[in-house]
Amino acid sequence: MAVFSQAEATLHKVSARPRAHSSIWVTTREAFFIALETLRTHKLRTCLTLLGVVIATTTLIVVMSVINGMNLYIADHIANLGANVFILSQFQWAQGEEAWLKARRRNRPIRMDDYEFLKANLKGYKSLGATGGIWPRPSARYQGHTLDEVSLVGATASMVDIGQEQVEYGRFISESDERHSAPVCFIGQDLVTEFFPNVDPLGKEIYISGMPFRVIGVAKRIGTTFGQSQDTFVFLPLTTFKKNFLGRPGINVSVQAWNAQQMSVLEDEVRVLMRVRHHLPYKEDDDFGINASDTIMGLWQRLTGSIFAITIAVVAVFMVVGGIVIMNIMLASVTERTHEIGIRKSLGARRRDILTQFVMEAAVMAAVGGALGVLLAGLISMVVNHFFASSTPLSAILVGLILSTAVGLFFGIYPASQAAKLDPIEALRTEN
Amino acid sequence: MGSQVASSPVQESHRPADGVIIRTEDLWKTYDMGEVAVHALCGVSFEIARGEYVAIMGPSGSGKSTLMNLIGCLDTPTSGRYWLNGRLVSELTDDELAHIRNKEIGFVFQTFNLLARATALHNVELPLIYNGTPAEERLERAKEALRVVELGDRMYHKPNELSGGQRQRVAVARALVNNPSIILADEPTGNLDSATGAEIMNLLDRLHQSGNTIVLVTHEFDIAAHAFRVIGIRDGKVDRDERMK
Ligand SMILES: Nc1ncnc2c1ncn2[C@@H]1O[C@H](COP(=O)(O)OP(=O)(O)OP(=O)(O)O)[C@@H](O)[C@H]1O
Ligand SMILES: [Mg+2]
Repeated sequence: MAVFSQAEATLHKVSARPRAHSSIWVTTREAFFIALETLRTHKLRTCLTLLGVVIATTTLIVVMSVINGMNLYIADHIANLGANVFILSQFQWAQGEEAWLKARRRNRPIRMDDYEFLKANLKGYKSLGATGGIWPRPSARYQGHTLDEVSLVGATASMVDIGQEQVEYGRFISESDERHSAPVCFIGQDLVTEFFPNVDPLGKEIYISGMPFRVIGVAKRIGTTFGQSQDTFVFLPLTTFKKNFLGRPGINVSVQAWNAQQMSVLEDEVRVLMRVRHHLPYKEDDDFGINASDTIMGLWQRLTGSIFAITIAVVAVFMVVGGIVIMNIMLASVTERTHEIGIRKSLGARRRDILTQFVMEAAVMAAVGGALGVLLAGLISMVVNHFFASSTPLSAILVGLILSTAVGLFFGIYPASQAAKLDPIEALRTEN
Repeated sequence: MGSQVASSPVQESHRPADGVIIRTEDLWKTYDMGEVAVHALCGVSFEIARGEYVAIMGPSGSGKSTLMNLIGCLDTPTSGRYWLNGRLVSELTDDELAHIRNKEIGFVFQTFNLLARATALHNVELPLIYNGTPAEERLERAKEALRVVELGDRMYHKPNELSGGQRQRVAVARALVNNPSIILADEPTGNLDSATGAEIMNLLDRLHQSGNTIVLVTHEFDIAAHAFRVIGIRDGKVDRDERMK
């Protein structure tokens, strides 16, 4: 009895303390934990419920990743082409899926000796160069600073005339650098900003994949394409590049013509030379690609537009379906938990507390769906990356998560309002 | 059993005097069952003062639970008026009613009505959550309430890991954690054996001694004997009201 009185006294003392009247924060937090708890107890049901939202989010992110990746790729490979330039490469860019699959099987990479061959046999061009690149893009390091996703390009000395990179100071790669596979590099403005804000970069050594390369020249600022900076590049002599980065065996050969008319003539000539070299009979398709920038850019932009339109439609349909499924399961959940709602109401839960609880549950559920979608999209992107340039932008992840949560919020409102409306005593009488 | 019906002139409808915590005036509750109308309460009037310990008795179906639900602001009367702590309940909004259920009333049910998936501690915390008590204070008070009902060592048990008597003690802790004006108990021992029932009654006695107002419904005379006043209900009417002790 003594213990009791003492405890009772403490209880009264504590409750006499003043405090904030019904803060929405406390009940919202409670609602959040209830939501997590419910999802934990009904794992399988939750997963099935979330299928629509997961698919929608995954689709959205994968498509955005691929488009973003392709933008990066195109910005790298096509947008940077100078005037009257076309490129001989392993694949024809921007072609149909069927042709692409076929090309993947039979096309041969373009090699250094193809370049030498063209150099010896092609007539009348303005200049001829070769480049090689690697994907994914490596990081560059200098004295503790790191710059990720650097476009690393191996280039012949002749690329100075063909590419849009212009020397700001120092010099471009020379033929002597090429002959000796010199560990030197020509860098873009982003590297200067990151590594050498106040210092002369010339003669400094930057590290890529653990190997040092001495800076011999800096390019003028180029700007951005598709929202991607075009100044995050490092050029190495092609020979140095091939020695150190055995990413893909193939190179690209760039041909610059004197004018537009000559360009199509040269394209035909290169095609004939390469077909002869590859011993292709008359009826067979090319097993290489000849790509020019403007046509491809136009095609790509039209393509992106229609891909986006289709994606938005698909995502919208799945989100609505997913939302309706969530609404349905939430209605079932309200019925199932009527007694619980009665208990909560009998203890002083207001309508808005119950509303918050169920809306929160739907939103958390949908957000979990969104998160699963992000994970799935991550996996798919990793696989896709082997065939295709894919790079997930942070904005795609955010849009996916926010959209799915919003769908949960929206479709949770109706079931939650049904729950909030319940009469306390009726709800308490309901046996589950 | 010298019946002395409490004087509560039905015509009078003024605000109750200070010290009167519950006052009902001609309460009716009618359930419309299509063809027939069931009159669960037919004009119930009484007053209960602060600090009283009242037992409501009556045969099954006489309207005791209906009355308790009205007093506990869980249900609304078909007609009649009810003042709680000087406030006319029928004039209150939904949110105000919720606030009253939260702050003024601690309800103990025959079937415990605990959240099955929550621990004893969390069950006791619920009323505090709904008035926005910050987590730290909430935990402290819920633990204290559980210690009051001598369940300090069962805080993290779920209801299905507790005996019937322990569950009802959790419910009592939950009822008193917000330090309400009244504790209402509808057959709190109805689902318990007599020894466990006695434990719960012991607890209610002690709560009364420390100043709480208690109204309880029971069938059993020896349970009613704990109270200081017995209100008898028959066919939805008060048929006796006597003070004992
Ligand atoms: N929701 C309802 N709908 C219709 N009739 C009801 C409802 N609730 C109670 N009743 C009726 O009202 C009357 C009083 O019921 P109440 O539950 O108040 O009785 P009680 O005195 O608590 O009985 P017991 O001692 O068995 O618990 C009964 O005749 C019952 O049938
Ligand atoms: Mg009853």
